[in-house]
Amino acid sequence: MTSLDHGKFTRVTTTFHSLLGLDVFLLFFTGYSLTFNDELWWLLSLMGGPQSVTALHRAAGFGLIALIGFWATLMITTDTGRSNFREIVPNGEDIKAFIQDVQFALGSADERHPNAKQFAGGDPDEIPLLSYIGKGVVFIFAAELFLLTISGLLIWSKTGLMQYFGTKTAAMGFVVFHGLLGVIMLMGVMLHIFEHGLHPAFYPVEPKAFIPRELIPETHADGGIEDLTLAPSWSTVSTVMGILTVVGITSVMIASVFDEGYPVPREITIGGGPENLLLTLGINAGIFVLFVGLVLSMYGNLLRVRWERQLEEERSQPTAAADGGHTGSDDD
Amino acid sequence: MSYQEDLPETSGYSKVSVVISAIVGLALAVVSVWWAAGTAVFYEGLFRVSPTVAGGGIGTDWVVGNTVPWLDFLVALVHAADVLMGVFILLMVFIHWAAFRRLAGQMQRPGEGTTEAVATDGGETE
Repeated sequence: MTSLDHGKFTRVTTTFHSLLGLDVFLLFFTGYSLTFNDELWWLLSLMGGPQSVTALHRAAGFGLIALIGFWATLMITTDTGRSNFREIVPNGEDIKAFIQDVQFALGSADERHPNAKQFAGGDPDEIPLLSYIGKGVVFIFAAELFLLTISGLLIWSKTGLMQYFGTKTAAMGFVVFHGLLGVIMLMGVMLHIFEHGLHPAFYPVEPKAFIPRELIPETHADGGIEDLTLAPSWSTVSTVMGILTVVGITSVMIASVFDEGYPVPREITIGGGPENLLLTLGINAGIFVLFVGLVLSMYGNLLRVRWERQLEEERSQPTAAADGGHTGSDDD
Repeated sequence: MSYQEDLPETSGYSKVSVVISAIVGLALAVVSVWWAAGTAVFYEGLFRVSPTVAGGGIGTDWVVGNTVPWLDFLVALVHAADVLMGVFILLMVFIHWAAFRRLAGQMQRPGEGTTEAVATDGGETE
C-alpha cells in the first residue's frame, strides 16, 4: 500500500461494485455464449446448453434489477448519495483531461491532468473522486444497464410482445436489439478491466475499489510515482493483455455487424466454419479478458480481507504504529 | 525475496518443472473431458444446418417478416452505435496503453537499487 493508493469509496460502494461486477460477468458469459454461439460453443456446453444458459441469464437479470433498485434508492434517499452525484457530473475539466491524455500519450505533455489521474491520494481538492474515464463509465454503463434491463424484461415476456406486435419476428427484433446493445457494454468492460488492472502503479489491481475509505488512514504523504518500483512482470503482462483487449474489442465489434444474434439472424450467415477462425479466436480472446477481470475482482476482495486482518492486528497492539496511522479506534 | 534471507533454506521447485506440470495437468483435463464427452464437441459442426433465405431455411421469416419500421431503425441505430463506440473505446485503450507505458518509464526499474526513495507506507522520504 502506498501513499498513492488511498481508499476512495465507502464500504457499501465497494461491496456493490463487486456484486454488480460478478452479476454483469455472469450476464455476459451467458448472454454472449448464446449470441456468439458459433464462436463460444464450448462456453455454452460448459454451462449446460441453451436451456440452462437462458435460465442462468434470467437469474442474473433478476439479480441486476435488484442491484439497480437498491443503488437507485440509496442514491436518492441518502445525503451522501445525492452529494456524490454533483461530483460525478462531467465538466469542462474532463474534456481538458481527455485532450491532455492524448498529448501525454503522444509525449507532448509532461504529466496527466488531475481529472485523468487514478490516484485517490494526494490533495482531494485537486484530484476528483472519479477520473474523466470513471465518469464516462458511470454514465454510459448506467444508461446501458437501464436499456438492457428494459429490453431484457420485454424479451422475457415474449408471448406478451407477440400479442402486442402481432408477429414473432418483431419479438425477435427485441432479442437482436438487446444483444447488440450489450456489445457496447461488453467492449466498455474490457477497457475498464485493462484500465484498472494494468496501471503500472497499481498492477495487478487497484485496491481502492475494494478497500473501503473507512479502513485507510487519512495521511497524505508526498510520495510520487517515481518512488514506486515497477513489477517485473508488468511489461510482458501489460503487452499481452493490451493485445488481447484490442483483439477482443475489435472482434466483438465486427461480430456485432455480421452476427445478428440468437436465435435467428437477420441475414442467414453460415457460422462456425474455418473462414470464421479469426473471429472465433478474437471473440474468445475477449472472453478471456472478461475472465481475467473476474479473477482480478476476486483478488481485490482477497486484498481487502488481508488488509482488514492486518489493520485489526495493528490495532490490537497499541504501540505498533508502524505506518504513521492512528492507533486508536477513533476513526472506526 | 529479501524477507526470506534469514529463513532456513528449503529446496524449492524449478520454474521449468512447475510450467511442465501445469501443462501436463491442463492437457490431462482437456483429454479427460474430451473423452468423457465422446469427442462430441468437435463433431458439432456436422450437425449444423446452413440454410439460405432462397431455400426457405430457418430464419427466413425473420428476414421477410420484421416489418416494424421503428424496430428495424432501432436495430440499425444500435449497429451504428456499436461501431462508433467500438472505435472510440479502442482509441481510449490505445491512449491508456501509451500513457501507462510512459508512467511505467517514470517508475523505478525492478531490481534497481532503491535506498531511501522507497516510500512504502505513507512514510515521508524527504
